[in-house]
Amino acid sequence: MRTRHLSLIVLLFLFIVTGVGDRNSGITAGTIRLEARQSPAGPLVPLPNRAGSFKFGVLGDFGTGSQAQYQLAEQMVTLHGRFKYDTVVLVGDNLYGSQRPQDFKKKFELPYKPLLDAGVKFYASLGNHDAREQRSYKLFNMGGNLYYTFNPSPDIRFFMLESSYPTPEQFDWLEKELKASGSNWKIAVFHHPLYSSGDRHGSDLLLREVLEPLFVKYHVSVVLNGHDHFYERVKPQKGIAYFVVGSGGQLRVGNIDRASGITAKGFDTDQAFMAAEITGDEMYFNAISRLGQTVDSGVLTRRKITP
Amino acid sequence: MSATRSVVVSLVAAAVLALGACTRGDSPPAPPATSASPASAPATERVVGPLTPADAQALATMNDRLKEYVDLHTKIERSLPTLPKEATPVQIDKNQRAFEKLMREARATAKPGDIFTPEARPVIKRLLAAVFGGPDGKQLKASIMDENPVDAAALKLTVNGRYPDTVPLTTVPPQVLQTLPKLTEDLEYRFVGDWLILLDTHAHVIADFIDNALPK
Repeated sequence: MRTRHLSLIVLLFLFIVTGVGDRNSGITAGTIRLEARQSPAGPLVPLPNRAGSFKFGVLGDFGTGSQAQYQLAEQMVTLHGRFKYDTVVLVGDNLYGSQRPQDFKKKFELPYKPLLDAGVKFYASLGNHDAREQRSYKLFNMGGNLYYTFNPSPDIRFFMLESSYPTPEQFDWLEKELKASGSNWKIAVFHHPLYSSGDRHGSDLLLREVLEPLFVKYHVSVVLNGHDHFYERVKPQKGIAYFVVGSGGQLRVGNIDRASGITAKGFDTDQAFMAAEITGDEMYFNAISRLGQTVDSGVLTRRKITP
Repeated sequence: MSATRSVVVSLVAAAVLALGACTRGDSPPAPPATSASPASAPATERVVGPLTPADAQALATMNDRLKEYVDLHTKIERSLPTLPKEATPVQIDKNQRAFEKLMREARATAKPGDIFTPEARPVIKRLLAAVFGGPDGKQLKASIMDENPVDAAALKLTVNGRYPDTVPLTTVPPQVLQTLPKLTEDLEYRFVGDWLILLDTHAHVIADFIDNALPK
């Protein structure tokens, strides 16, 4: 009787979600439209894949060692076959649970082995579940630091921050680095989102109060976060593009609060990572699911430095 | 130093009541302005309803103990070979276990209450009760209990014992961090079940704990 009840509920749910899917997304799995509960997507904007552009991936909240993590990793490898990105930025929660040598292998080195073997470099920031000793792990390229910057090309600089235990010293350091940077593209990467529609965690307002003024003042164009276990592109806030990419292994189905009013596009029904390409003043992005479907795409323009 | 920390702790603890943060509002709720925390105070220095002088003094008793611990930690760390900045997981693990061994030997007689002093414990429990009794308390607790499905008592955690390898490191929300005395980079607050743990991050050792710290 109980099973029958459950079946009816599931059938009703399938009926509802099948009926309200977005026509443009084209995202289907069997008869279930995975996008059904998401906000409408525009037409697909492909990554231009231009020679000489900077191509990178974004991954977060991934290190579970689960089948889902491995399947998403396969999609990253598949994409790399036709879109040769050489950098992946990690938005934290790189290893869940135990963090012994065998865990580094199972939860990072094995799933991404084809990418590591191809020379792709992973740059990590730490999440709330990460042990600080990860900063010394060679393949995370943190150089022993909890926060650091790197510039893959003269025009682009990433600011990798530590947001679990942020200190005034880090904020001072960040301001100095932002001020000194002559890069046109300034991209901040850290775990706790300043803007998120997550029902579990949501926006970190304390951190926002401190960081947002710096991002606005020093022309940060893009902020990449995790923590909430889904993909979300937030409507631009004070001219800055915010992405939550906490969907790399962990997943909290249905956790996007549709009433937040800040979601430009949300995807909380399957794992996903983001691929991006910067060419000139534009950054193209695709969010790709565990099934290999592009669940969001678009292009944004960097913030201009006005004299 | 002690006086400064008392002030910081008082300010920070006060902030807890007013900052129902980590919600999805457009702007954080403003804490009530006090002479110690005017409305213009930056978020990192904001205060929420000051502690009583007695509570502030009770928390301050932790500071000397924390300092002693960090001094010992630093001394032992200097005696170990430096971990390469580009280490393998095996090197990280080996270094950590060597550190753990030396810390445990140096604190062989350590017991609960050595750092979370008997004076500070009830104050910390009260502060946590205030945080979790607030409007976002339920959500905050859910966030901590994420990946924290353990019975701390059953794990038989001990002061100066290794933090169990199989127990995930939990989320500690900023509201909680703002409430508790600030730590150096060598130490972290974590929850195991409803126990508050003071974790030595490098040695992976439980420096001290408070059992049943989370309100039911």
